[in-house]
Amino acid sequence: MIVIKDLAVSLSGKEILKDISLTITEGLWSCLVGPNGAGKTTLLKVLLGTTPYSGSVKSNGVEVFRNQKRNVAFVPQQPQIPQGMTVAEYVMLGRAKKDGWGNESAKSRDFIAEVLAQTNLYGLHKQMVSHLSGGEMQRTLIARALAQEPELILLDEPTSALDLHHQIDVLNNLQFLQKSGVTIVSTMHDITLAAMYAERIVVMQSGRVLADGSSTEIIHSAELRTAFDNRINVFTLDSGRPVVVAKKDGK
Amino acid sequence: MTQSHSEIEAISPIWNWKITSLCALFLLFIGIAAISFGPINLSFSRIIRTLLGMHGGLTGPDRTVLIDLRLPRALLAALVGAALATSGAVYQSVFRNPLADPYLLGAASGAGLGATIAITNSHGNVYSLLPIFSFVGGTLAVLTSFFISGKFFAEPQSLLLSGIAVGSFATAIQTYLQQRHSASLRPVYSWILGELTVANWQILSWSSIYILMALAILISISKQLDGLMLSDEESFSLGINPNKLRIIAVAAATLATATAVSASGLIGFVGIVVPHLVRGVTHRVTNRNLLTIALAGAAFLVLADLGARTLLSPAELPIGVITAFVGAPFFLVVLRRRRTVAS
Repeated sequence: MIVIKDLAVSLSGKEILKDISLTITEGLWSCLVGPNGAGKTTLLKVLLGTTPYSGSVKSNGVEVFRNQKRNVAFVPQQPQIPQGMTVAEYVMLGRAKKDGWGNESAKSRDFIAEVLAQTNLYGLHKQMVSHLSGGEMQRTLIARALAQEPELILLDEPTSALDLHHQIDVLNNLQFLQKSGVTIVSTMHDITLAAMYAERIVVMQSGRVLADGSSTEIIHSAELRTAFDNRINVFTLDSGRPVVVAKKDGK
Repeated sequence: MTQSHSEIEAISPIWNWKITSLCALFLLFIGIAAISFGPINLSFSRIIRTLLGMHGGLTGPDRTVLIDLRLPRALLAALVGAALATSGAVYQSVFRNPLADPYLLGAASGAGLGATIAITNSHGNVYSLLPIFSFVGGTLAVLTSFFISGKFFAEPQSLLLSGIAVGSFATAIQTYLQQRHSASLRPVYSWILGELTVANWQILSWSSIYILMALAILISISKQLDGLMLSDEESFSLGINPNKLRIIAVAAATLATATAVSASGLIGFVGIVVPHLVRGVTHRVTNRNLLTIALAGAAFLVLADLGARTLLSPAELPIGVITAFVGAPFFLVVLRRRRTVAS
């Protein structure tokens, strides 16, 4: 469990996050939603432990800043793509914490083979990551995160570069992982997908948390509309599934 | 179907021993050629006898040529080549820029300034002072780049930019000093073009300590350098402290570069040509090939020095001319290929 109390983050004198108090429940998928500049990515980086903050962010009672004892996987929205590295090697980096850098155990290679098959990357495993399409790269990033066998996965817009078919593939993979007990925190612009997969939604705007609750509760809340300046509509399909669409010309 | 790990194992060896061994053999072959050929050709069997202390070895002037001239020169060329090539590969990993070279952070310009100060202010034996001045100049320039780049910890590109600024400043002072002391123009330019003519056992012994130490550090952290090719957040999540690793890598690469520059002047393009050549052959991440790159760099510079000594024999070409002659077209090919890939 991660407990955030009175969190504030300032970068270059600019207040990015303020007055945030939240609890990230273990084993759940929490999704941060909000317009651009709401502070979602910064909050992810705080949870990772790379961004300095004031207040308190404790994972099992220990402050997370620069704490590398935790096994946390991070999937960035725009990754640095190394030259001269194959998909299998790139995914194998996820085992670095378990095996030590460059030591690839037979157990890890077995595990990587499974992860590559699970993410439909096996045929691509000898290809250079620099030659992958956007969708293939995203699946490779997810595969590396799975290879880590993390306790917590942080994903920054994991589906932004994917077509609908691959979006569902990636989200199903994550859901499978979450059901095995891994905690997931992601940001997502597609609120409909967020409501479909995440159990919990945190609505953010201008560095603050406007609302925090179950997906079904938040999707119909006034705070969600407020966060997007009332420029979204929420419909409910016959199946009972909510769909969020942007209003055309604000109408 | 479940895939077996053996398929993964087959594609992910850290070292390609075949290519590394080939480089070592090539270095040995080129090394022997370098000490055999020159204005006076020495017999291969007599060289071996001399080196092994056996009867029938070289005597008189031939022995002096081998022991006091060619051997330290070939060894220094190998050391400097290994240092520049390895530093170049590490800089390319650290700055995530395939066109980064070992002189980026001002080491070359700082060393050039140091050498110019030594040449313009010394009246006696310039060459005894030159290595010390250029080493201090190169190291000070890199430290200044670190100092100015306050955001180094946040963004490595800012260190690169401050290196360029410090380098330009040092070059400006160097040019001013040269204009003030026009008699120094020839020795300064000769040094800038790189030369191994000053090689002796004394230079070789002190430079080998620093260069071998730096190479040992870089090769020992080479696997972790994979992490620096990712974003800082990703490498942190994989257990790396990117800032600490970056400082260790840059400091060791700079030590090797500054030592190489102070021992042999500015020899360009080795740091770019060799890592790309090795990567072209092995198709591997540059930093995973550091040992191969070091051996290939050593062989490349020994070969270039052999060319510098023999092409216009008995006159000598500055070695930097040879490396630039090969390196500049190669650099353009790399640039063109990158553009093609990007488009």
